[in-house]
Amino acid sequence: MTSAVLGGAASVRPYSLQRHYALLGMLLIAPTILIFCAVIVYPLVTAIYLSLFSIYTPTLQGNWVGLANFRDMLGSGQFWGALWTNIVWTVGTLSLQLVFGIGTALLLNQNIWFRSLARSLILFPYFVSTVVAVLVWRWMFNDVYGILNHTLLAAHIVDMPIDWLGHMPNAMVSIIVIGAWKYFPFVVIAVLARLQTIPPQLYEAATIDGAGVWGRFWDVTLPQLRDVLVVIVLLRTIWDFKEFDLIYLLTGGGPVTSTQTLPILVYKQAFGLNAMGTASTYAIGMLLVLLSFMVLYLARVGRGKESA
Amino acid sequence: MTKKSTLSGGAPVSRRQALRTIGAAGALTAAASLPFSRGARAQAGVTLRWWSPQSSPAQLAAYKFQIAAFEAKNPGVKVNFEPTSDEGYPAQMAAAYASGQVPDVVTHIPSFAVASYFDKGLVEPFDDVIKMIGPEKYYPDANKTYEVKPGTFTGTGIGNTAADNFWVRKDLMEKAGISAIPRTWDEMRAALQKMQGGGIYGAPLPYGRNSATAFVLTTLVHGAGGQFFTPDLQVALASPETEHALEFYKSLRELCPPGATSYSWGEMITGFVSGACATGYYAGRVLVNVNNQNAAIADKITCTLYPTISKDVPQKSVNDFPSVFIPKGTKNLDAAKKFAAFLFDPEGYIKQLLAAPGHVLPVLKTIGENPTYLADPIIKKYPKEVELMTVSAAAGYNLGFESAKHKPNTKSVDIISSEALSEMGQRVALNNESIKTVIGDTAKKLEAIMKG
Repeated sequence: MTSAVLGGAASVRPYSLQRHYALLGMLLIAPTILIFCAVIVYPLVTAIYLSLFSIYTPTLQGNWVGLANFRDMLGSGQFWGALWTNIVWTVGTLSLQLVFGIGTALLLNQNIWFRSLARSLILFPYFVSTVVAVLVWRWMFNDVYGILNHTLLAAHIVDMPIDWLGHMPNAMVSIIVIGAWKYFPFVVIAVLARLQTIPPQLYEAATIDGAGVWGRFWDVTLPQLRDVLVVIVLLRTIWDFKEFDLIYLLTGGGPVTSTQTLPILVYKQAFGLNAMGTASTYAIGMLLVLLSFMVLYLARVGRGKESA
Repeated sequence: MTKKSTLSGGAPVSRRQALRTIGAAGALTAAASLPFSRGARAQAGVTLRWWSPQSSPAQLAAYKFQIAAFEAKNPGVKVNFEPTSDEGYPAQMAAAYASGQVPDVVTHIPSFAVASYFDKGLVEPFDDVIKMIGPEKYYPDANKTYEVKPGTFTGTGIGNTAADNFWVRKDLMEKAGISAIPRTWDEMRAALQKMQGGGIYGAPLPYGRNSATAFVLTTLVHGAGGQFFTPDLQVALASPETEHALEFYKSLRELCPPGATSYSWGEMITGFVSGACATGYYAGRVLVNVNNQNAAIADKITCTLYPTISKDVPQKSVNDFPSVFIPKGTKNLDAAKKFAAFLFDPEGYIKQLLAAPGHVLPVLKTIGENPTYLADPIIKKYPKEVELMTVSAAAGYNLGFESAKHKPNTKSVDIISSEALSEMGQRVALNNESIKTVIGDTAKKLEAIMKG
């Protein structure tokens, strides 16, 4: 009996330690889980819950409608129109950001005069507040006093001022260009950091093999940038897809609904039409679209690992 | 070996002891500060939040005066002014109600918005405040738009505003050989065509997707002799009058600056005041802005009521009846009522009105006849225009109050903020879509809003 007790005591000790560590682990991870639940799970569950109701925003009171909001959303041209606009905006602005960003990063990686100053100044559009940036651009675009129209008229390139923000396709082109101007510094920072770590021997070897400037870029630089570009494209796609303030302040989604992206549609449903349930439904629809990007990305990364 | 810290002039103590001491001191301080801070809050009294979309620098200075005077008379009460905007208030009010963080007093938003909030049970009755102000001081029927049933008011007017005056440059008219201010749409279009040129456009009318466009369309539909709703609030948009209004609106596009496609209130007034346009559509703020910002044309401007389709259709003003109301959910109802009434205290009220003379016109007869008010240089300089705006605004209408026969439309703010009307204008004027189709689509949207 004594031996059994001793044996029992011996088996309890490691168990207690294990349990102690498990408890400690749970305790340490608890704040993270709590914050995660508060800022991710709770809003998500609330949005899904609200999407099942018809709710008047100011009072937050309404009726259960089940999946009717989803049926209406999928059956309405509004959602698909806004989704298409969203895709045009995202693809357009992201493409320009990549072109400007990689080009500028390559330039700033060279030994040029005032390189440090240029590297600092290039970040300015990214750091300036969106509201300020929009005010400056709207002023430049102004039909009567704007510098752009003034210059074009003075140079006799146009006879009448151009309506940059109230006419299609000008409005879409304008927001795409301003979006690219505002966010390309992010691409510059990320690409420049990677460019500085590419071993110079690779370029020397390529040069000895007879590669020209384009050949070195295509066969050395671009493959070396691939991983960082994948991350940039993923992050910027997500951020650009849900861009609200820049587009809303520039065009408000107009003319008519030509630049109305999904985030603007969600806002207008929630606070223009006071239909919080419908707005939540559109937000869930937008989330699912973004989730599909994420799945594509994860599949792409998975294939990359397998082939490696 | 435990490391020792030495407090100056004292015995050595261990780090653990020092930490315990600091911790205990912190806990004591926190414990002591709890009741103290509660006491401090109680001493500080209540803080009122005041929202208004009218916040020009001169108006802000007048508000500051009113707030200081109220705080001096009511120790322990503090008032914070928070500006909103004509385009943004519906969204901000919706968010404020939804979050339970409502302002205590709201001023200058249209009467139809107040009616809409009242309909949803979101407004405190205002009867007490009107009694505090003195019902006998008002112009007759000044509060008719706020009286939901006999003796029960949702708010009161802080002023009257004739929003759709037709502003003209007399010098440009003369130069173009136009002898009289246009009375009908045909005359107006012809005058605009004659005056446009040499870097000057005919009119800064808005074609944006916003409330300014909705107001202009209201003026034009009524100016064609039509209405949006029947007196019992059935949608009446599909009519020849609406078609005429949209045709006229579309025909004016070429007489407006290219960027008018995104114009709202700000661009409309700037377009006329800066001299870029020969005519304007705006309230009385034009007077003070012209005198302050472009004095060269100060003696060359005048205003009249907006032209209509023919002389058979009477000219009327759109008046948004700028309001004062107290949102349901205020935590300081008594103080809010006192402050709302204090806004009409003569000294501060006159300062507020004269911050934009002619723009917000007095609703109190005692103020309209007050020598200090009448002595204002702008009021004295433009007596004909101010008189016209005063009379027309008092007889004005808006989407929530289309005529004396109409029931109050409590869905008006939803209609404006849904942008259904401005979208209708854009589809016709910018997208060149079939007027009948667009009217049919818009009528369906209005019906859905009225049902919802």
